[in-house]
Amino acid sequence: MRRASAELADAAHPQRLADLLGGLDVVICCGSGGVGKTTVSAALAAAMAATAERRVMVLTVDPARRLASALGMPGIGAEPVTVSAARLRQAGLPLRGELVAAMLDQKSVWDGMVERYAPTRQVAERILDNRFYQGVSDAFVGSHEYAAIEALYELHEEGEYDCLVVDTPPSRSAIDFLEAPERISDFVGARLLSWLAHPSRGGFHAMNLAAAPLLRIADRLLGGEVLGELGDFVGDLQTLYGGVQRRARSVSRLLRSPRVGFVIVTTLEPAASAEAEHFATKLRELAMPLRAVVVNRVLPAFLTGEAAIRAADALADDHRGAEALSRAIRAPVDAAAAVALGRTHRLFHELAQREARQLARLGRIADVASVQVPLITTPVSALEGLVQVAAAL
Amino acid sequence: MIAARRGVRVLAVEVDAKGDLPEALGHPAVGFQPVVVQRNLSVLALHPEDSFQEYLAIFFKVPRFTRLTPLAGVFDFVATGVPGPRDMLMVGKIAHEERRREGDGAPIWDLIVVDATSSGQILPQLTAARSMRRLVRGGMLRSQVDFVDAMVTNHRKTALCICALPEEMPAVEALELHDEVVQDTAIGLGPCFLNRCVAPVSAPRQRRLVEMLADPATARAAAPVLGDGVAGLVAGIRLADSLGRLGQPFARRLSTRMSVAVVPVPLIAARPGLATTRAVAAALEAAG
Repeated sequence: MRRASAELADAAHPQRLADLLGGLDVVICCGSGGVGKTTVSAALAAAMAATAERRVMVLTVDPARRLASALGMPGIGAEPVTVSAARLRQAGLPLRGELVAAMLDQKSVWDGMVERYAPTRQVAERILDNRFYQGVSDAFVGSHEYAAIEALYELHEEGEYDCLVVDTPPSRSAIDFLEAPERISDFVGARLLSWLAHPSRGGFHAMNLAAAPLLRIADRLLGGEVLGELGDFVGDLQTLYGGVQRRARSVSRLLRSPRVGFVIVTTLEPAASAEAEHFATKLRELAMPLRAVVVNRVLPAFLTGEAAIRAADALADDHRGAEALSRAIRAPVDAAAAVALGRTHRLFHELAQREARQLARLGRIADVASVQVPLITTPVSALEGLVQVAAAL
Repeated sequence: MIAARRGVRVLAVEVDAKGDLPEALGHPAVGFQPVVVQRNLSVLALHPEDSFQEYLAIFFKVPRFTRLTPLAGVFDFVATGVPGPRDMLMVGKIAHEERRREGDGAPIWDLIVVDATSSGQILPQLTAARSMRRLVRGGMLRSQVDFVDAMVTNHRKTALCICALPEEMPAVEALELHDEVVQDTAIGLGPCFLNRCVAPVSAPRQRRLVEMLADPATARAAAPVLGDGVAGLVAGIRLADSLGRLGQPFARRLSTRMSVAVVPVPLIAARPGLATTRAVAAALEAAG
């Protein structure tokens, strides 16, 4: 375990990760889909609000129902809502500060970006009314992630919260989140699309020589009027380029700031762990600060016990196990039942061993705090589950 | 794998090009063209950056010269970034493979199995052709989108199989996707696969044995046979039982509310890759 992890090794002191991260302005929870990012984000935010008089916001992108479910609320919208301190206290997590939750309204963020950077009101309205814009703004790869980053940046600039915890979108790859500003910037960038918007512009003569055949092909593919409409749209979009570029640079600086921290949330499933390792490497390459790894849904360590697996193997022995046991305890033992039980334990023993190997690998990916959140094995409400997770953080 | 073993010529398609599907079939990462990995079983992966040029070359005879020009960046961008073309790339390639014929006119593939994207993103891909029809009213692309849409919405050709886990959010999202497909699209549904199922310890004889072993006196008597690990054994079995019971309400909810069969797939502890795939196939075949 790394130095920082040793501080967290004492399970009798909950909310340690919350203390380690509580001084940051922004905590961004990343990871592949299905690892419990939303629950961990909400739990971390709740733990931060529990350990100090902080005003903490947890921001989710999609789907909002996950966060609402995790917080035991009927719904969460674009307007921030204060999570009931009474409910959390009742569930076993009294707050010293305040916890606020909000869902990102992606369309509003995109529309806001257009309105902010368009040179005139007319250009903004043309873009907002354009059918290509309406078709792409919410489906463009990186649009979820970029909207989250825009919202995060705006909230950070407003300074109304001591800490923002961001539940990143369930991206095809968590890397999409890091690359979103550059990708969006490229989308409106003159270099890529100016040949389409202004094919006769002298400064791009060399590109136009190559572009002419392509434009003819595009015309054949799309039909005449569509290419013209697309050109008009791209022409208007280019006017946003300067502002988008400047914002992308500001966001890039923020994401590398010492006031920001990334937390990788993962499970010990091979695919999720592999993506966590890949993501940690990417953060290092991009000089973005990884602060912690939260390993979710960990099987209890006792499952790797050697004595228990020897007992399970003896029980699962098709020929002798049940007979021998029956003689030893002087009671009938059903052979099929014995074999089934032995195999059940063996399955979980093997899973726990695989997890232990995976955990050792994850421990080597970065010199940061690592916290294990146990698998919940009893029926609990969403809020009770969140409180259990918060206790581990 | 099961179909291939039964003589069906199968093409497996990986959509996100992470290499997971080829690895699951015991093969290194593959590209845009089908690669035989086992008898009757081939696999290909859709790499958008490389595939867009292939797509244009196959369907529209667009020359490859653009890879040598500054416009290569445009192709990469359109392939990976712009909705519509990006999604058409996936569905269009599959439609192309579905239409391929041998010299005698017989289909090259009897079955195409697609390892698609997550439930939040699959509908935009499957309805990309229909969405593109609103944007593109003429030209060659319009005929392409019509053909792709016809394939996707033909229930005799195409079925969407939802995969879920016996946990709250996966079950909720599976049901939402099911309802959206049924109510808002013309896409057909196949069975729902409920993955990583753990059976609770429900058989009376098993429960009786667990209770016996949980008794300290019985555990001591059993020590000559089972050793000193009886308490750990009982704890492990009870944990498995708890997990099985935790998942049951979600499995029931899916079975009750879905309009298709829900097929449980047991939790497997095999090494990731071909071993796991074989184990899952064996479990599915055993379950009939």
